[in-house]
Amino acid sequence: MKILIPLKQVPDSTVRVKVAPDGTSVVTEGITWSISPYDEYAIEMALERKDADPSTVVAVVTVGPERSRDALRQALAMGCDEASLVRAEGAAPLAVARALAKVVAEAKPDLVLCGKQASDDDQGFVGPALAELLGWPHVATITKVVPAEGAVELWREVEGGHEVWKAPLPALATVHKSEKEPRYPSLPGIMKAKKKDIPERPLDALGVDVAAPTWTVVSMEPPPARGGGKILRDGDAKQIAERLATALRDEAKVL
Amino acid sequence: MIAPTGGGIITGLYAGAAPLLLILTFLGFGAFFLRAWRLYRYMRLGRDEARIDHPWRRVRDELVVYLGQRKLLKRPYYVRGLAHAFIFWGFIVITIGTVDLLVDGIIGFHLPGAGNAVFAWTIDIFAVLVLASIAIALVRRVFFPPPRMHVALDGYVILGMIAILMITLLLFEGAGLAAGNLEKGFTPPPIAGAILRSFVFPGESSAVVFFWSWWTHVVTVLAFAAYLPQSKHLHIVTTLPNVFFRKQTPRGALGLIKDIENQETFGAASIRDFSWKQLLDGYTCTECGRCSDNCPALATGKLLDPQKIVLDIRDQLLRDGPKLLGDAKAETTPPAHYLESKPEELWACTTCAACVEACPVTIEHIDKIVDMRRHLTLMEGSAPPEAQRAMTNIERAGNPWGEPRETRGDWATDLGVPTFAEKPDAEYLYFVGCAASVDRRNQKVARALVKVLRTAGVSFAILASEETCNGDPARRIGNEYLWQMQAQRNIDTFKKYGVRKVIASCPHCFNTIANEYPQLGGNYEVIHALQLVDRLISEGKLKVGRGTAEAVAYHDPCYLGRHNGIYNQPRAVLDAIPGVQRVEIEPHNRERGFCCGAGGGRMWMEENVGQRVNHRRIEQLLAINSGATKVASGCPFCLIMLEEGVGAKGVQDQIRPVDVLELVAGRIEN
Ligand SMILES: Cc1cc2nc3c(=O)[nH]c(=O)nc-3n(C[C@H](O)[C@H](O)[C@H](O)COP(=O)(O)OP(=O)(O)OC[C@H]3O[C@@H](n4cnc5c(N)ncnc54)[C@H](O)[C@@H]3O)c2cc1C
Ligand code: SF4
Ligand code: SF4
Repeated sequence: MKILIPLKQVPDSTVRVKVAPDGTSVVTEGITWSISPYDEYAIEMALERKDADPSTVVAVVTVGPERSRDALRQALAMGCDEASLVRAEGAAPLAVARALAKVVAEAKPDLVLCGKQASDDDQGFVGPALAELLGWPHVATITKVVPAEGAVELWREVEGGHEVWKAPLPALATVHKSEKEPRYPSLPGIMKAKKKDIPERPLDALGVDVAAPTWTVVSMEPPPARGGGKILRDGDAKQIAERLATALRDEAKVL
Repeated sequence: MIAPTGGGIITGLYAGAAPLLLILTFLGFGAFFLRAWRLYRYMRLGRDEARIDHPWRRVRDELVVYLGQRKLLKRPYYVRGLAHAFIFWGFIVITIGTVDLLVDGIIGFHLPGAGNAVFAWTIDIFAVLVLASIAIALVRRVFFPPPRMHVALDGYVILGMIAILMITLLLFEGAGLAAGNLEKGFTPPPIAGAILRSFVFPGESSAVVFFWSWWTHVVTVLAFAAYLPQSKHLHIVTTLPNVFFRKQTPRGALGLIKDIENQETFGAASIRDFSWKQLLDGYTCTECGRCSDNCPALATGKLLDPQKIVLDIRDQLLRDGPKLLGDAKAETTPPAHYLESKPEELWACTTCAACVEACPVTIEHIDKIVDMRRHLTLMEGSAPPEAQRAMTNIERAGNPWGEPRETRGDWATDLGVPTFAEKPDAEYLYFVGCAASVDRRNQKVARALVKVLRTAGVSFAILASEETCNGDPARRIGNEYLWQMQAQRNIDTFKKYGVRKVIASCPHCFNTIANEYPQLGGNYEVIHALQLVDRLISEGKLKVGRGTAEAVAYHDPCYLGRHNGIYNQPRAVLDAIPGVQRVEIEPHNRERGFCCGAGGGRMWMEENVGQRVNHRRIEQLLAINSGATKVASGCPFCLIMLEEGVGAKGVQDQIRPVDVLELVAGRIEN
């Protein structure tokens, strides 16, 4: 089976995001970038398949600027077999999905795994859009994939249990979580990934129009600074609870 | 040695025996050397490692540790240690006598001085001391076997042989005297003399007693030589090189993987991945169990047992050695990637060095454990998931907590602590470390240190967001690559600002920067905050006022104490605080201090087997019943662990964990 994972490079979750002076973007200067966490889960899920069946081929692709090569290297270091880069600066989600549709058409994977959403913009758009463009079945927020004859079983977590869906191949799923935490790359893996060739091509080479904006960002604002907390200390549990209820009603106005 | 040169009968018996003696000697020592040669060849299956730096320190160690038996005479092992020392010293003296006896018996030549009274007396006295010590050892084995010691037949065989040697020695010395082997003016040694007087071997019978005791002695010596290399008592021989080739680099420094980007394999996955010295350690283990007695992981029910780590390697070497020698590449038999030690054992180690400290024959446990961890982490990527998270956080955020890199210096903004960029001529860099930078509890300690340094007029600056994790947790988890990246990053920053002197309030930062950064060319004068405070107080630059009178227990951080020998300065600081009465957590203090459970990257791993190490530490603290209301340490990780421990035990109102720096800062005027 061949699995393709479109991944996005995002500001690392440890970065304290700041709004840029233009008021419509964030400061990206000097920050740490990493693979979006749900994409990491997708990689781990695919690699777990590869562990079980070494004939599995796992490929990754990203649509992004030069720096997103690092994310591809990271994926290779974790154990992915192939990586390719589609060069683009600030491509809109629909343009990304269109570009990916071309990549999929060439690479002919049996299964495409996207993250359920990217941790920067949280739109959850690209996965379903790509499935739509390809005309493939789409299953959202999966936690496990099990191959079945000519098809895959895709597990989803729901309140109090899980559902198992079956999709004919080829199919696309978006990943919520893998069974294990995304693996830490081995050092030989890192070294091999450093030497591996990552082919790249510009977005327009795929015949995709970057400049077809479907929306624009009007403004970005940081959340208001939080005031200091309040500690209710004196009195027994009942009294504290009463004062808490009062505060929630009168001060926070949430009750 | 009293030589039967005078009496006619004895000489006759003796002279005819020379060829037989020669053959027996040849067989006994032949068997010894044959086996020793095999063991040597197995040992050389290990990888190369140079261990010849600091030759004079090595000679000194040989005198102190081997001849002086220094590492045996330690709390709580004084009596057994002394018994062992007497057996050992007696053994040395008597070996000289034995060599003389064999040489004389075969070629009729005495070692210089061997015939005189001093020598006879020395041997005589030591023979008795050895017998007494053997009695102690036997009583101990039979009636009070120590929990971790492997009491096996082997031990009895060896003790029995030594006892036979001593008894026959005294007998033939006595009989020899009776037969008239006294030189002129020779005062008979006390015991042989007493035998001489009490048994009174007249004429023929003294010769018969001499004959049989002498031959029994000689045959036992040779049997001993033949048996020794099959036995754990080979340590009599192997301790000599093992002490000589012990690590002379600082105990707290792990070995560097050189040219890491161009290596193909990392760490130890098979017997051949250990160095010859690590294999020699296996031959040298006496199975005494002292390491295990002191291991906090074993004591709290983890699978790890440091003695087993050493013995598994030895047993595997002895088992697979023949196959490996037969097949130089040994790719297939035995499996190239196979070691007895299970990951669960290896991950339980806190690298506290209690084992290394306790081992009488200078075995280095931690390096083996970390080498095996290196394989798991670097080759297999199979470190525990929480440890992987910590490493990812170090990579991405520069601290294992994963707090934003840019906020590292935030604790100091309201204090107006300058960064090196703002104050390039600062004398000291205060390397804050991750814990004091991002952990709320430990930020208070950093603030306390700032107050102390300012009061004493010390010129210092910090690096704020330009500082990054020193790499210690990564290195001890086995991730040498990440350690090198972190270390290099800091070294580059230090270079940029011309940093020469470093203050660390964290013993892990202290140890890594002082002992490990030199491996990458970073040489600084590094001082732990408590060492500096001790100096400032004794130089009169810092005056500590009186606060509430209180009893404070001192908890030794492993990376200050055992790893760096800093036991006294933190205590001196406590003693210099008026009103503070220092309490020792006996017997688990100083070099026997019990780990808090956070070292070796354990801070970042789950601990769900057995009791938590920090909870045991709190129990020890409560057991001394000292009325201490605080427990002070000098390590942010100890502080976190102690805080968690008192909370879990519900004693946070009786005893409060603090850093010594907080006690000092609380008693100085602003
Ligand atoms: C994923 C998930 C889904 C769940 N779904 C449901 C559900 O659908 N229905 C349901 O009934 N239960 C649900 N639960 C369980 C439920 O949320 C908790 O069991 C319950 O809220 C615990 O109440 P508690 O009184 O123990 O409060 P705690 O667990 O102690 O605290 C709950 C909250 O109270 C506030 N609080 C507590 N102590 C203080 C204090 N000292 N000062 C100020 N604020 C304080 C804090 O906001 C805290 O987050 C869910 C739990 C999880 C994890
Ligand atoms: S370093 Fe400490 S935890 Fe590790 S084996 Fe030795 S005694 Fe046990
Ligand atoms: S390693 Fe050292 S302390 Fe441990 S059993 Fe062997 S000789 Fe004793």
